[in-house]
Amino acid sequence: MAKESTTIDIGETSTVTKSTSHALVDEKKKGFVTAAPGGGYKRGLTIFDFLLRLAAIGITIGASSVMFTAEETLPFFTQFLQFQAGYDDFPTFQFFVIAIAIVASYLVLSLPFSIVTIVRPLAVAPRLILLISDTVVLTLTTAAAAAAASIVYLAHNGNANTNWLPICQQFGDFCQTASTAVVAASISVVFFILLIVISAIALKRH
Amino acid sequence: MKNESTFIDVPAESSSAMKGKAPLIGVAKDHTTSGSGGYNRGLSIFDFLLRLAAIVAASVAAGTMFTSDETLPFFTQFLQFEAGYDDLPTFQFFVIAMSMVAGYIVLSLPISVVTIVRPLAAAPRLLLLVLDTAIMGLTMAAASSAAAISYVAHNGNQNTNWLPICQQFGDFCQKTSGAVVSSFVAVVFFMILVVLSGVALKRH
Repeated sequence: MAKESTTIDIGETSTVTKSTSHALVDEKKKGFVTAAPGGGYKRGLTIFDFLLRLAAIGITIGASSVMFTAEETLPFFTQFLQFQAGYDDFPTFQFFVIAIAIVASYLVLSLPFSIVTIVRPLAVAPRLILLISDTVVLTLTTAAAAAAASIVYLAHNGNANTNWLPICQQFGDFCQTASTAVVAASISVVFFILLIVISAIALKRH
Repeated sequence: MKNESTFIDVPAESSSAMKGKAPLIGVAKDHTTSGSGGYNRGLSIFDFLLRLAAIVAASVAAGTMFTSDETLPFFTQFLQFEAGYDDLPTFQFFVIAMSMVAGYIVLSLPISVVTIVRPLAAAPRLLLLVLDTAIMGLTMAAASSAAAISYVAHNGNQNTNWLPICQQFGDFCQKTSGAVVSSFVAVVFFMILVVLSGVALKRH
């Protein structure tokens, strides 16, 4: 601790010693923060967050485009119609394509915020914005993935009680492609959960 | 603030003066932390109330879906026309998932009480945030998959020749749709809970 001079002239001390003591305390606190590995820890978390976003962009773009191109035309046809299946035959799959595309563009737009949190590890506002918007987009992604999964399940297995026939038995390729897209979207859900947890941990260490 | 005597005999008094100063600094710190502690406590109380509301939403969803049986008043010689949640695996998943969610919220109430009592502790809040995020994902999955099946049941699908069963089983469809809406309300509650925990964590 600092040693004060032996004779204190009290006239100026009440503010001076208070300010110096505050400065002492603040310097001690600041010294603590910069000396401790807290800043490095957070920067590592943020870099991981950025990489996770890049991976999530790749997966969501992949999921959306795979579902978009999931068409199949059967090699036989009657006089009146040809048997086709595509994503636009199912409103749920239409919702899936649009929602996952929105999620992918959100991720691209959130990359600058992530870079800001890397450059300024102690800034709170960008992290909080990222946390809130990640939560909302997690909800959207989960909704799209789960709804498409339930339709894919129905297409694979049908339902005896409601007399809904499993169409995958005719449209095998279409079903496979749609299932792949749903799996990719589910992986992106896991990524989003990780992103939210990282933002929360980084917020905590203030 | 303090008036010290004009002549301080430093070797003896300075150490006690410095010691005398320290509690003041300590008190000043306490003032600032209790300010943000009060705000955090308010957030925690709101969090607790929201959890109670989410218990209601989740259990209403599970219960409505569970009791959504319908038997049509006519029957043939061989079979009676029935519809229940266990005819559709997605609805089975919905009932089980929403029951788990309701049970989770009940179990998370003590942790929420801990955050009320100790508004500045970060570990309970972080735990709640992580668990809430995961459970929100589960709730949303159950809600939206049941919504997709309800949509098919209401509208059918011409391309796959899936007939809309709601035209025969009107009550069943109504109840399942009500259950799905209730679970979406629970999802909104969870989103607010996650954001609350994030904001409260920020204020340490």
